[in-house]
Amino acid sequence: MNGKIYEVAVDQTGKRKFLVSIANETFECHSFRSDDIISWSVHRGDKTLHARARSLHFDRVDVWLAGTPFQAFVHAPSGGHYRSVDTAGSNASGGEIRAAMPGRITSVLVKLNEQVESGAPLLILESMKMQNEIVSPKSGRVKSIRVVDGATVKKDSVLIEID
Amino acid sequence: MKTKLLIANRGEIALRIIRTCRKLGIRTVAVYSDVDQESLPVAYADERYALHGITPSETYLSISKIIEAAIETKCDGVHPGYGFLSEDSAFVRACKEANLIFVGPTAEAISKVGNKLDARKTMHEAGIPLIPGTDEPVKDEYEAAEFAKKAGYPVILKAVYGGGGRGMRIANTDDEVRRFYRVTKLEAASSFGRDLLYVEKRLRSPRHVEIQALANSGNVISLGERECSIQRRYQKLVEEAPSIAVNDELRKQLNDATKKGLGAAGYTNAGTVEFLIDQENKFYFLEVNKRLQVEHVVTELTTGIDIVEEQLRIAFESQLNLSQNEIHVNGWAINMRINAEDPRRDFTPSPGTVIQFHAPSGPGIRIDSHLYSGYSIPEYYDSLIAKLSAWGRERTEAIRRMQNALEEIEILGVPTTIPLYRVLLRDKAFVNGQFDTTYLNTFGAKLNSELLDLGVYAAAVAAVMCSTNLPLRHRLQQRFHRSHWKTSARTSNQRRDM
Repeated sequence: MNGKIYEVAVDQTGKRKFLVSIANETFECHSFRSDDIISWSVHRGDKTLHARARSLHFDRVDVWLAGTPFQAFVHAPSGGHYRSVDTAGSNASGGEIRAAMPGRITSVLVKLNEQVESGAPLLILESMKMQNEIVSPKSGRVKSIRVVDGATVKKDSVLIEID
Repeated sequence: MKTKLLIANRGEIALRIIRTCRKLGIRTVAVYSDVDQESLPVAYADERYALHGITPSETYLSISKIIEAAIETKCDGVHPGYGFLSEDSAFVRACKEANLIFVGPTAEAISKVGNKLDARKTMHEAGIPLIPGTDEPVKDEYEAAEFAKKAGYPVILKAVYGGGGRGMRIANTDDEVRRFYRVTKLEAASSFGRDLLYVEKRLRSPRHVEIQALANSGNVISLGERECSIQRRYQKLVEEAPSIAVNDELRKQLNDATKKGLGAAGYTNAGTVEFLIDQENKFYFLEVNKRLQVEHVVTELTTGIDIVEEQLRIAFESQLNLSQNEIHVNGWAINMRINAEDPRRDFTPSPGTVIQFHAPSGPGIRIDSHLYSGYSIPEYYDSLIAKLSAWGRERTEAIRRMQNALEEIEILGVPTTIPLYRVLLRDKAFVNGQFDTTYLNTFGAKLNSELLDLGVYAAAVAAVMCSTNLPLRHRLQQRFHRSHWKTSARTSNQRRDM
């Protein structure tokens, strides 16, 4: 989770059967329904989990397990070996404050060049009837404000930059 | 019933109301916003009417548009569902003026328990205990902080006209009162159109228990209690009927208080009186919900009563066909609200497209949902996308059935609260019934560690997907010769043996 990297070895053992190794653990994966979204049963020891997965690009895979979505970027440095990175948890980079959800900016609470403390409220983003207070992840100066009151924003769009 | 009804709502509750109407032979009209045109209630209703616009205020909250729709489609009445206009006395009056029957309490009854402060006054006069709070709305954050100083922290800022858990924030310090005052006021203005706030003392670790009532002109019957302590940000997530925390003596007290309180208000139609129960089993009036509630399902499962049908009979036939001695609570029911919210990220709303939806089933399972594969969850409305309920002869059976259903249900495409419930149902404290309204506050860490364990499974599946992925295989075949592929596969076997 949160950008964790797994080194994975894959070995095909049958038409729809695979043996997967991660660290010292072995997983048996069977696929049993193939349309856009492929069903998998994953056995590890005596534990079996059902997963659903679909490929988006050649290296991006969406996996759903136990009701939870995972997004993986798979790097293949050599045949049979893969690195899976779950990207679902990481959306903050540097001082850019991004919208964690689509919605509407109800109010911007800071001014350009203002000094803010870590945890200080920066703006309020309304989505699904909820007012979400977006707070600063660090102390610093408000370098840019990319939105105005009432603006609609897409998920992941940059709202504010903190130096 | 020879009646035509406009449903002034959307999503699962509009669908729920249509189902009962169909059973009773009532014709239905669905209204819809631009983004709800392809929703299930619009497809299932006998007629549909476009409200034109997207935001709640230009669609489902627009009294003039809804009334116009009802008149144009020649409806006899309006069912407001929950949220939106369901507790708006101006809407109730507008219906009356337009000769439309409002499926809910009368304007007079609403004025007695209409907003939270009026309700506190009515209940206090009926002799029902209240939590300390301001009698009037507070003028500003300083007046709010002043009350907090007297009553002691923590306190809750509440929208006077609020409901459904919106427009409320707990504050633990003066600084939080100042900060949350602004957000709560904004939320109140945008959700309820009026931004007045008052302040209440916050009880320590209370339970939330409520009584479902049906009433006709002050003649009140109780359908038993619901346990709603599993909440986050004052939004209920899990509801049960009955409550494991309520013994016969407390049950009688709660039922009596409900009958007295709603009776004093001359209440009509379905309503709920909410209470907080402290650690000494003392109860305090919280608020009256003057509408059909989200969680009415659990009461339907334990009593066998179709609450929407009773609402319609009271509204259109002016009679309550049931008497208290006909009400029997049978077995146990649990409901879980599946929201488009990410429990891993502090319940961040997660609107988006549902790629795949599969509904669970089996004995004792009920699902109320407007989802279908390919449905796009709009960002403009509530995040509730499905209510999953399980009934059992006793609580354990209901829990087991719910566990199965949560294994079966599939909502792919948007993060939902499902993973939280899967962890919750295995939690000892929940299974033993030892929880209060603070229970979920500390649950995040538990959930995250469980999900962390799943990451490795996801990594395995992702890697296999890429190894079977055609475009990738072509690429690999260009870069490495086929024999090279086999060699490295063998290498991986050797590595595993080490």
